[in-house]
Amino acid sequence: MNTVSDRRPMAGSHTAPPGHLLLRYREWSVLVLYRGVLATLGLTIAMFFVAGLALALGTADLNPLTALAAAFGTGTEQDVFIVRELRLPRVVTGILVGMALGTGGCLMQTLARNRLATPGIVGIDNGATAFAVASVVALTTGLAPSGMSLAGSITALVLVLALSGGTGTRGYRFLVVGIGVGAVFGSITNYLLARAPIDSANAAYPWTVGSLNARAGGSVALLAIGLAITLPVAVFLGRQLSTMRLSDQVAQSLGISVRRVRVGTLMVAVTLSALSVAVAGPVGMIALLAPEAARYLAGPRTVPVLGSAVAGALFTVLADLAGRTLFAPIEIPVGVITAVVGGPYLLWVLLRSSSRRII
Amino acid sequence: MNRSARVITDSPDATARLGARVRTDGLNLAYGKQVVIEHLNLAFPAGRVTAMVGPNGCGKSTLLAGLARLHQPSAGAVIVDGQVLARLSPREAGKRIGLLPQDAAAPDGLTVYDLVRFGRQPHQGLLRQWSPEDQAMVDWAIEACDLKELVDRPLETLSGGQRQRAWIAMAVAQGTPLLLLDEPTAALDLGHQVEVFELIRHLAAQGRTVVMAVHDLSQACRYADHLVAMRDGKVIAQGAPADVVTPELVRHLYGIDCTLVTDPLTGTPVIAAIHRTPSTVADTNGNGSGH
Repeated sequence: MNTVSDRRPMAGSHTAPPGHLLLRYREWSVLVLYRGVLATLGLTIAMFFVAGLALALGTADLNPLTALAAAFGTGTEQDVFIVRELRLPRVVTGILVGMALGTGGCLMQTLARNRLATPGIVGIDNGATAFAVASVVALTTGLAPSGMSLAGSITALVLVLALSGGTGTRGYRFLVVGIGVGAVFGSITNYLLARAPIDSANAAYPWTVGSLNARAGGSVALLAIGLAITLPVAVFLGRQLSTMRLSDQVAQSLGISVRRVRVGTLMVAVTLSALSVAVAGPVGMIALLAPEAARYLAGPRTVPVLGSAVAGALFTVLADLAGRTLFAPIEIPVGVITAVVGGPYLLWVLLRSSSRRII
Repeated sequence: MNRSARVITDSPDATARLGARVRTDGLNLAYGKQVVIEHLNLAFPAGRVTAMVGPNGCGKSTLLAGLARLHQPSAGAVIVDGQVLARLSPREAGKRIGLLPQDAAAPDGLTVYDLVRFGRQPHQGLLRQWSPEDQAMVDWAIEACDLKELVDRPLETLSGGQRQRAWIAMAVAQGTPLLLLDEPTAALDLGHQVEVFELIRHLAAQGRTVVMAVHDLSQACRYADHLVAMRDGKVIAQGAPADVVTPELVRHLYGIDCTLVTDPLTGTPVIAAIHRTPSTVADTNGNGSGH
């Protein structure tokens, strides 16, 4: 039998929990997870390295230092033109698209407790694509693809949620319904392209495969603004989602407003995938792979929202660089590269890990 | 570890030592149109262990969900220390009520310490992520649940009993005056069951109010101060186990005949010589499904 005594724990030994750095000021305290910070930092360095390569390599290969100098406006007029007018916007676009995809994927996967539940798989990208293509080929309105794809992604999400009755605890029903809804929107896209005059079908084509080549300045700016607003929200949501990994019931009893977190997460994920589809079309697999890599590096103590964003940027820029240079002068759309590389990787991940694993 | 040498100290957080006064006031709980619990007035003794027993579907899990604020009442209210539970913010409720649900799961690689730390969530904020009280409560919960040697072990490497203790430690670290446990010993072998029940007794001995749903009537009698027997969403008996449990009650609850004997060690009732009641009264068990 145990006995109950009046002994108090030793006072004055305030130390950080394992793996954390404790920052204290008066009554405030902030924890920094070493492994999470290192993961994000490492991914960021790798991302900038690849971005530098993407500025240097292409039809005209430049010395990386020359390319860097040209990016800041020094060097020969031709170098500056190639880097600042042709390559830099494309790299920046790739970074923004990748961040949006990585963030959305991480949030949705964690919310549905299923590593397959990314906005792309559950039909949100397809909804956005169908509406964006419609805005190009069918409706000759001035509606920008950004607005249309946002409408499309929201439509798809509402349909999926209504038909599946929520994301559920393991997300299976949500996934299956999402795949179905995505297929319907995919066929709508194909129908629109088949019926459209060849010129407008050509104009709409980049939105169907995922390419950084067809970017429109306005959509990119919208994506940048959207990211600036939603990324801090996503990081905040990630803290709550970390507790929701233990089950909705536990999270609720630990004082989390589960419903509010769920609505917020879906809104952020839908906004980000819509804005990125409007820029680059549905770039597949990034939303699956980036959070996977970030989780692997950051460990189970955190939901690595920022790490996923940076990993998404890294993968997107890398895939686009490969698509531009591997078979030059033929250019392969970034979406094709991510599918070719990402598919087998995904299979490997799924076969390697036990099926009962939770995010 | 030599369990007899173990000393449990008081919770460093004073509020956890005051048992919450919990009662339901005309409480209705329903799934859509199907009413599971109707106009329930029930008080749980403060600072004591209450066990809710009854056949599958009798409404005890639903009632527990209602007490935990997971299930909003369609009428009536749960009153905790004089306040209507539904009007508290999630965070306020999280400071008063700890819950151990049945189907909890954690991501692979999370250690015992990581899990217990989650219990401090309702006390934390963006600029208050790890206070000295948080640390004291987590350390104390780990001590109280006999997990000191396991703090750095990933949860998936623990035995079922150890893992259950870790989850209870998480709820304990929450420092709530009310602790709700949904079948805390389900899927545990006898040794681990006793271990968990003894832990629950110790937590109650410090003043906490504990309400748990339990399947095994004998163990409910052995470890609870107060018994609430439910059938078809209604409380059909409540009180001290020795006063409440009779062969008639057991037949009414489960449709079985039995003999009650007294545990020579504890003096509590033990169900023995169980057999199914002949078909004339067997229907008492057949329509008991609540949801």
